Amino acid sequence: MILTDMSWFDSTVHRAMTEAALVGALGGLVGVLVIVRRLPFFTMALTHATFPGVVIATLLGIDLYLGGGLFGLLIVLAIVAFSRARGQDLTAATGIALSGGFALGVVLVSAQDGFSKDLTHYTVGDILAVSTADLTSTLVVAVAVVIVLAALGKELLFSAFDPVGASAAGLPTLVLDFILLAVIEVTVVVTVPALGAILAVALLVGPAATARLLTDRLALLFPISAVIGVGCGLAGVWLSTRWDIAAGASIALFVGFVFGLAFLGSAVRGRLRSPAETTRHPVALEAVNDAGSS
Amino acid sequence: MNILFEPFQLPFMARALTQLVILGALAGTVGVLVLLRRLAFVTDTLTHTVFPGVVIGYILAGDDGIFWGALVAGAVTAALLTLFARRVSEDAALAMLLTTLFAVGVALVSRRSGYAADLTAFLFGRVLTVTEEQLVQTSVVTVLVVALLAVLRRPLMLRMFDPEGARAAGVRVGLLDLVLNAAIALVVVASVRAVGTVLVIALLIVPAAAARALSDRLAVIVPLACLIGAAGGWLGLAVSYEAAVSHGLRLASGGTVVLVLVAMYVLAFAAGILRRRLARSRVSRAVSGEVEPA
Amino acid sequence: MTEETTTGQVTLEQPGRTAALVLDRACVAYGDVPALEELDGVVHPGEAVALIGPNGAGKSTLIKAILGLVPVVRGRIEVLGTTPARARREVAYVPQADTLDPDFPVSVEQVVMMGRYRKIGWLRRPSAGDRAEVAAALERVGLAGRARDRFGTLSGGQRQRVLLARAIAARPRLLLLDEPFNGVDAVSQHALLEAMAALKEQGTAVVISTHDLAIAHLACEEVCLLNRHQYGFGPTESVLTPERLRAAYGGQALELRGDRVIVTRT
Repeated sequence: MILTDMSWFDSTVHRAMTEAALVGALGGLVGVLVIVRRLPFFTMALTHATFPGVVIATLLGIDLYLGGGLFGLLIVLAIVAFSRARGQDLTAATGIALSGGFALGVVLVSAQDGFSKDLTHYTVGDILAVSTADLTSTLVVAVAVVIVLAALGKELLFSAFDPVGASAAGLPTLVLDFILLAVIEVTVVVTVPALGAILAVALLVGPAATARLLTDRLALLFPISAVIGVGCGLAGVWLSTRWDIAAGASIALFVGFVFGLAFLGSAVRGRLRSPAETTRHPVALEAVNDAGSS
Repeated sequence: MNILFEPFQLPFMARALTQLVILGALAGTVGVLVLLRRLAFVTDTLTHTVFPGVVIGYILAGDDGIFWGALVAGAVTAALLTLFARRVSEDAALAMLLTTLFAVGVALVSRRSGYAADLTAFLFGRVLTVTEEQLVQTSVVTVLVVALLAVLRRPLMLRMFDPEGARAAGVRVGLLDLVLNAAIALVVVASVRAVGTVLVIALLIVPAAAARALSDRLAVIVPLACLIGAAGGWLGLAVSYEAAVSHGLRLASGGTVVLVLVAMYVLAFAAGILRRRLARSRVSRAVSGEVEPA
Repeated sequence: MTEETTTGQVTLEQPGRTAALVLDRACVAYGDVPALEELDGVVHPGEAVALIGPNGAGKSTLIKAILGLVPVVRGRIEVLGTTPARARREVAYVPQADTLDPDFPVSVEQVVMMGRYRKIGWLRRPSAGDRAEVAAALERVGLAGRARDRFGTLSGGQRQRVLLARAIAARPRLLLLDEPFNGVDAVSQHALLEAMAALKEQGTAVVISTHDLAIAHLACEEVCLLNRHQYGFGPTESVLTPERLRAAYGGQALELRGDRVIVTRT
């Protein structure tokens, strides 16, 4: 690997900076899909559900990413299965998977020594502990995700916007859904070691949600969101080393801060209308305009 | 059956059992509302936003400060979420609130020396060190919440089923939503020291979802959810005690309780499918040829 | 091929042209719950048929079955001379606009371009020809000026027009519309009807599900009267008679009691 040869990466802070920039960009890009498909809670469940997978992988001595990824996939299947039943909606199934997965991780960890230390690592992460191997994994995932997004962007968009219309047009929506979930899943798996199970959601939702407040145009969403992700990641690591606070927390704080600013900004500009108004108001206006022009 | 009773001869185990049974029953009741209103994500947000309150309370006044810190944070976020829901009922906004406030808590803890141990206690609770004073607090909260819900059950039902109709009938929907959010916050606050902020969500969702899988009638679902919640607490505690004493395996009691609850949910889910299948074949035999509504 | 319809009339086979849609004693089911039974009828190119029936009659289910998204358990549905799944390439579907997320960040142009995706294919980007096609489709529904606006900022009727433009851009031989006139203002309704008439003239067959009898009279020469069963299929005037309508709708007004549901089909 090229990365391992460079002495620049011998510094813990440099490695952390690089990792933060990479997961920031990745979280920003994938976050756009999470936001437009309204999957933040689902993503939250995924981050929690990979936790027992990582613990099991540690116990069995297999690759942590593989363990986390496989277990996360299992949880996705469970959520989909449970949410199909009558009277059980996706939210409840997600909540159950989330808490159940996390509890399993906690119980498994508690059976080991060094309970608190390990658990802290999983829940809030430790970006200062990333190795060059971790960096390589993140880089590989980032490149793969960008390729998938570039290649299947328009099909993913169609099935996200109008699932029935997309399958009516002959797109394999089930396969596309699965690709989307797999993309979110691998992103979660590389983000969680850096930020922890709970705070990883900040990077996977925040930059994209902020970008969404700033623009309506899909083409602009991706770059803006990625830039915000990278910026917050770098600023968070900087703040963390300056003030000696957990890096995951400082990154999440920056993301929250930027989102708050954008939220206030858009509220001031009066673009933040309640959903009822956005649908009702223009209808009335348009009807008048149309009638006037014809 | 000795496993179920013997451990609780010990005073600390008896206190833990009392605490979990009360909490299970309380959370089961409130959980039905969470499930029917599809508020799982809102609830998850509440459990995480209470966390900084816990930390600040602990820093200011030690162990006794936790309850009050949590109470203040719970009240503030219940109000915030009620306001929030009117402006943007977006998952993304919830995720941002959740991660940002949680990050505040983590940042505060991470500057302390006993970082890992403290964080673990806040996140996952210590049910075995429950004091009599805590039991009193929990009981007061339970009586308060149950009385509130009993008094308001009719408007709550109406709002749940038909918000527009409720508004038309003069029900103050905003106030009701605040009451429900406050009730959820109170459950979180009461559970925080015993099961921790992360696992409360399981107490609130899993028993209600299990009860829902078993019955379609609200009059059955509520007591059933209570019962499942309490039974889960009891069984989970017994299992973790048994594992520690007889097998030398230390299992986090909070996590074990949640895993038992999830197992009960899976059983209820399977039983629910079976029940419906039986019911359907009976119906279709009785009125073959009748048109079934979609 | 069953050409005899319940009205007793015989639709003449038009030589040299495949029927756009053939229903031949077709039964459609969700899982083990039957949704529609014993449907018969033929729609030829350039014809429009209205699916009429009360809420829950199975209109949307029939549309999904024609798309091949819901299985036919007995009988046969033939689309453009082949199976529904295989014909999908030349069928366009227009969903109800209000089932789509108004906050979704797509422009009107992007929505219409979705109609071209099938022809563009995987991994490729839209060409200049595709863009011209999109612009022409938007022109047809009278929304050429709104191409760059966000879909969600349009009125309900305009969104429905955009979705029709998406279908037009796909150049279908069979067009399926699910309740296209629900909550649509008069201007948009007029635009929708005109665009559909133009498509019919080019030989596109149209199937519209609606509970609005006036629309059926206005836009369609044939009607399929449905409520779980078929209560009639044929020329609008002869199917939409008071007796048939009472039969199709009455069952829902009355309480269903097992075997005492009135079934008029023989």
